[in-house]
Amino acid sequence: MSDRLPGALTRRPARILLLAVALCLPPFYLDAFWLRIGLFSMAAAIGAVGLSLLSGTAGQLSLGHAFFLAVGAYGYAYLAGEPGPGLPPVIAAVLAVLLAGAAGGLFSPVAGRVKGIYLGIATLALVFLGHHVLLTADSVTGGFNGRSVPPLELGGFAFAASDPELVVLGVPFGAEERLWFLGLALFAFTWFTAGGLLRGRPGRALAALRDSETAAAVMGVDVARHRSAAFVVSSMYAGLAGVLLALAFRRVVPDYFSLALSIDYLAMIVIGGLGSVAGATAGAVFVTALPLLMTRYADQLPLVAAPGSTEGAVGPTEAARYLYGAAIVLVLLYAPDGLHGLARRVREHLRRRRPRTPATDPVPPPPQPAAAARPKEHTP
Amino acid sequence: MTGFLDNVLNGLALGAVYALVALGFVVMFKASGVLNFAHGSLLLFGGYLIAVLHDDLGFAGALALAVLATAALAGALDRFLLQRGGLDEQSAHIQTIVTIGIDILLFTDLARRIGGDLLPLGDPWGDAVTELGPVTVADSRLAAIVVSTVVIGTVFALFRFTSWGLSLRAAAEDLEAAALMGVRLGRVRAGGWALAGALAALAAVFLASFPAPGLERTTGQIALHAFPAAILGGLASPVGALAGSLLIGLTEALVVGYQSELHVLGEGFGDVAPYAVMLLVLLVRPTGLFGGKGAARV
Amino acid sequence: MNDRTPVAPPALDVRDVTVRFAGLTALDGVSFTAAPGSLHALIGPNGAGKSTCFNVLSGLCRPDAGTVTLGDTELTRLAPHRIAALGVARTFQNIVTTQGTVADNLMLGRHAKSRAGYAASALRLPSAVREQRAHLARAREIAELTGLGHHFDSPVGLLSYGDRKRVELARALCLEPRVLLLDEPVAGMNAAERARTADVVRELRAELGLTIVLVEHDMGLVMRLADDVTVLDFGRTIAHGTPDEVRQDPEVLRAYLGTGTQEEEAA
Repeated sequence: MSDRLPGALTRRPARILLLAVALCLPPFYLDAFWLRIGLFSMAAAIGAVGLSLLSGTAGQLSLGHAFFLAVGAYGYAYLAGEPGPGLPPVIAAVLAVLLAGAAGGLFSPVAGRVKGIYLGIATLALVFLGHHVLLTADSVTGGFNGRSVPPLELGGFAFAASDPELVVLGVPFGAEERLWFLGLALFAFTWFTAGGLLRGRPGRALAALRDSETAAAVMGVDVARHRSAAFVVSSMYAGLAGVLLALAFRRVVPDYFSLALSIDYLAMIVIGGLGSVAGATAGAVFVTALPLLMTRYADQLPLVAAPGSTEGAVGPTEAARYLYGAAIVLVLLYAPDGLHGLARRVREHLRRRRPRTPATDPVPPPPQPAAAARPKEHTP
Repeated sequence: MTGFLDNVLNGLALGAVYALVALGFVVMFKASGVLNFAHGSLLLFGGYLIAVLHDDLGFAGALALAVLATAALAGALDRFLLQRGGLDEQSAHIQTIVTIGIDILLFTDLARRIGGDLLPLGDPWGDAVTELGPVTVADSRLAAIVVSTVVIGTVFALFRFTSWGLSLRAAAEDLEAAALMGVRLGRVRAGGWALAGALAALAAVFLASFPAPGLERTTGQIALHAFPAAILGGLASPVGALAGSLLIGLTEALVVGYQSELHVLGEGFGDVAPYAVMLLVLLVRPTGLFGGKGAARV
Repeated sequence: MNDRTPVAPPALDVRDVTVRFAGLTALDGVSFTAAPGSLHALIGPNGAGKSTCFNVLSGLCRPDAGTVTLGDTELTRLAPHRIAALGVARTFQNIVTTQGTVADNLMLGRHAKSRAGYAASALRLPSAVREQRAHLARAREIAELTGLGHHFDSPVGLLSYGDRKRVELARALCLEPRVLLLDEPVAGMNAAERARTADVVRELRAELGLTIVLVEHDMGLVMRLADDVTVLDFGRTIAHGTPDEVRQDPEVLRAYLGTGTQEEEAA
């Protein structure tokens, strides 16, 4: 790979720049509906990258992600709002992320000792206990009705509909447009940091833990420390996602942060392909955008009833859930490396079909279908 | 004092029902190494069938059919879906997550059918009560205790005395050795899942009967309380699941019974008490109370 | 990156180590000393306790009695990663590599030698980037040293069995060890690969002056490479000495070589 490095160096920044420009365009062309889809997808992607580090890279099953999202979301709403200390929003956001990390750290006596499926169920407890606290600690959380979220302000500039009024290139910049750029910045930050972690010393240690804790320990990896650290880091990404979600929703309610949300995040990283930042992002977009798109276009989809129509009919939300339930089953049983792996295989396939490298192709296409069909002959 | 006895009896009844579900988790886990997250939906499936069929078939007929159908569904899910992912222990982890996908599919469909309704199951106990000395107990609770005891006894006998039970235990000890000795892993596994499905359908009856108002879309989620029960017991130990279930049932009933005294924990703490107990136990014993060698399967 | 210890490594001293598993005594008062810079072989029939002994040395198994000391430091109560940080590296009998390239595996071997934490790596601070670059250079040197230079960026999964075995060795060397524990480094290799690995081990000793403890079934290799040999049988030391002395020892012949030679011929 390293022999191709110079070429990659010249191409990669160019690609990233192109992507960045493309991602800056939507606020100028798309309406609030699409911007909200993008915004929720970016928030979900940040959270999914965190879970991917924990469950995909370090191999620790967590169903508690919703809890850490809640800590971030409520942490921000409380710290920046009334009742609450009413801190400057930026400071509140940073503290909320740190708070989520601290919550992950507090869980480390469990995370460092409990393994595999036991850990999965233990994290389940976090979601239920957290939900209970959100409902009962009214003075901080606002109880069942939740509480409103103050907008983020940065040096007198508010990420809200006005204050100050802003028109860029003839497009009025409301809350969605402004939050889009905030989301984009946080998402870029997530990619940058997660990439650094994965390709650096911590990422290698976490991957070693997943493959064999015994071997990792002998190679000098402090197993308990890195198991806990994975939880802290993953919780901080979840906290950041929680802050962004809170800003996008403008209100936080306990029922949003339920077990179903944790399972959504698990679905994202599974569908995307475990342990890759790009996969987690793709999965997050899929799981987040699908129900919203299906709701919007329900009247044009076959077999799907409009929302709120007769009971028992397949509504868009249900249709979306069928689709992604099926996606989890199919991906895991037939393409365990998810969308990420699928994309890689397609890329390899295309590359192989290019005529300029015929000599490097050791496998001619015809045997492949035969190989795929072979296992069937064995089944009695 | 009667208040306390009431709570204990309630707790035992609840524990007996959780035991049906938790035992299901353990049987499936021993058979396949998979923790079935779709179990709550299987339970809901069984309950829904009884609710739909009892007008035509009578309660007993509907129950029998529902138990068989849920067993068949659970067995088929394992045999034709999960087992495609392989029989080895590594793929058991993946299949555990597959069951989450199955749960989403099953639950979405059942919830869509049930909607916001409360479905009666037509059970013979209704809201009748029996006086047992100083305490008054709902007949449905007594039935839960009696039926669970009989059924669980039968399952333990199956484990111990049938060739299927022997194969299952052999497979849980050592997959490869069991296969070499001629155990047909695929069938033994699916059999375990079918048994667990049958237990879940039975548990649905008691979770939806008095004092519960009927079967709702959320009934399946009560099965989640059996997660802590199974984990407390160590996941691979049937006896442990039984003990864990009783512990969880009693905890829940006592917390609910003494709600006013435990006000500091917040209203509705009974619902989450099982999880608090589980976290505390896991802190001390990371593989559960009875988690010995068998628990090392994961 | 030249952090190799210039002084001679300390002696590895094993004193009266006893390990019991559920009534079975796996090691029964085993003692030996690997002199600084020597190659000490540990041999014995299957089940003699060699692997248990390695597990004690690397901290995976805590002995019921006895001590292991490296110089003045007692290893017996230390966690595995602390023992590794003291410069005791080991290879595994079954190949244990993570996914990814040879470079990834060797960089994992540099874990205890590097410092970059979560914050520095996440923010790609200059210190972390510089450290990573320096360690990558050293990992490449070690790959060259073990004959893996041209495979440095290849995925481990695509390498031959012998090469993957050598990745194990190279990864252990990435710890810049003072003591190297080799668990059957040539098991399963063909004759050419065996000879090549033997050469690598010999070069390592000459260049790095390591203390090596070797568990190996290939008697020819042991007799050619070892300075001292300890023979275990049923968890007890039955002989100790130079390869020549051990070869003559009647007890060893009876317990081990009597059956061992047949196995060798068959293999």
